[in-house]
Amino acid sequence: MARIIVVTSGKGGVGKTTSTANIGMALASRGNKIVVLDADFGLRNLDLLLGLENRIVYTALDVMSGECTLEDALVKDKRQPNLALLPAAQNRTKDAVNTDQMKQLVTDLAQQYDYVLIDCPAGIEMGFKNAIIAAKEAVIVTTPEISAVRDADRVIGLLEAHSIKKIHLIVNRIRPAMVQANNMMSVQDVQEILAIPILGIVPDDERVIVSTNKGEPLVLAGSNSLAAIAYNNIARRLEGEKVPFLTLETPPEGLWERMSRFFRKK
Amino acid sequence: MTVDSSITSALEKLPETPEETVLPTAMETITQTQTSAESVTPLQVHLKAESGNLLLILPPQTELKEGPAVWSDLWLQLKQRLSAGEKFWEPNTLVHLIAENWLLDGRQLQEIAEALAESKLVLKLVQTNRRQTAVAAAAAGYSVEQESAIAYINQYQLTSTKPGQPFLEPLYLETTLRSGVEIRHPGTVIVLGDVNPGSSIIADGDIIVWGRLRGFVHAGARGKRECLIMALQMEPTQLRIADFVARAPENPPAQFSPEVAYVTDEGIRIAKGLGFQRPDLS
Ligand SMILES: Nc1ncnc2c1ncn2[C@@H]1O[C@H](COP(=O)(O)OP(=O)(O)O)[C@@H](O)[C@H]1O
Ligand SMILES: [Mg+2]
Repeated sequence: MARIIVVTSGKGGVGKTTSTANIGMALASRGNKIVVLDADFGLRNLDLLLGLENRIVYTALDVMSGECTLEDALVKDKRQPNLALLPAAQNRTKDAVNTDQMKQLVTDLAQQYDYVLIDCPAGIEMGFKNAIIAAKEAVIVTTPEISAVRDADRVIGLLEAHSIKKIHLIVNRIRPAMVQANNMMSVQDVQEILAIPILGIVPDDERVIVSTNKGEPLVLAGSNSLAAIAYNNIARRLEGEKVPFLTLETPPEGLWERMSRFFRKK
Repeated sequence: MTVDSSITSALEKLPETPEETVLPTAMETITQTQTSAESVTPLQVHLKAESGNLLLILPPQTELKEGPAVWSDLWLQLKQRLSAGEKFWEPNTLVHLIAENWLLDGRQLQEIAEALAESKLVLKLVQTNRRQTAVAAAAAGYSVEQESAIAYINQYQLTSTKPGQPFLEPLYLETTLRSGVEIRHPGTVIVLGDVNPGSSIIADGDIIVWGRLRGFVHAGARGKRECLIMALQMEPTQLRIADFVARAPENPPAQFSPEVAYVTDEGIRIAKGLGFQRPDLS
């Protein structure tokens, strides 16, 4: 039986899709059979990030309506044969799907793969409910911004209510220099509010954007950028390995640093 | 400082520098004449032990924005209450569901039973004043009592307490109150955990937070000025006691210690928790 993990955040644009693509690739390159499911119906873009857009014939919706088989709709990645994408429908609204259909679909996928990664839409409406309904675990992505953290907190509460208790945190787009200068929340600040175990810290890196535009996840390109290393480390931690956090990932600061920060504020 | 306008505009009129000489800590205070009638305390999902059983009392379904208007709100509230109070009952305790005027179908009853089962509770009996709910409950194999739930509500004073009325027993929550969660209780609320930004507690009695208080809290919501707010780490978005309002200063102190917020004639004051004595209000 596969591990079914939803990648979610509440707020849009914080890096859910980027994280799904890179974690999927990293897990696949470690020999796992991965399917990434785009649950962002209506605003799909996981296919773009993976560079699989032009290979889509059918979508998850076609599977659910019985127009094709699951096999027909799955897009296998030629560069990474361990990874397949189940695309979302582009032209239909989120309301075209219900939770029962979604549950069935994910259950079917779980039979064939080691991991089902679900890329969740922003918000907490129907699309969110569909994305989390069959998930057993969650990865929360947030940026170190008050609004993103607030939304992440809300989403964690909802996940807990839906009995998803295994929840891990990725803090994305950290800029160590800004944290140092006290112009950005630190990972510690974020964690103090969200109070869930941390899975990884991804630095803000323009190569992420470049790779997005190329349709080639950083991890796949074998990039030695810190962001790529961070995503590889996340995949290893997901598999239970104890990987130390990179120094650039700003380890949680000690009491002394905190105190001196407060004094500097005055 | 007395402002008789709404809270939002009152906040805009806050002085830049608080009167630190008067305040034990730099809490900015506002006295204002908001009528306490505005802060009605509507009802939420309530759990109550009674002669070996647990009563799960649903709030009556209303159009009030504060109450759960739809099934998904009710379900969420139930799940959150159950997980925050798990250690208060023995495994396999039988539950009587007081469903009030909620129209519940078989699936919804099943979801309630599943939520209870997850907390090791067993749904046994459904009491309802809706015929369809009674039919669904009977079909699902539960004992059914079809009568007016009003009797129960009155019996347990679940209606909002008016000034002078006794409070409901304290609500003890062992959980993190996350953003979006709102706790309303016609009595004292005790939280063992953090109260995060974006969450709120509105209590007719005191509010005690064994953790970080960073949300919105209103004690003495029905007008009782003697009510207190206590926290290990007092960093609220906003504090209210009865008809007084205060908010935390811009710059938090370097170190926190347990504090108590209370009302004086000048407004809300904060004092160190250790050695605090409740002042006499004239
Ligand atoms: N670590 C990062 N560094 C720089 N840019 C990033 C990073 N993570 C995400 N981005 C950019 O942020 C934007 C939103 O990311 P995306 O993954 O689509 O967010 P979401 O799926 O949460 O809406 C994209 O343009 C992406 O390239
Ligand atoms: Mg996305």
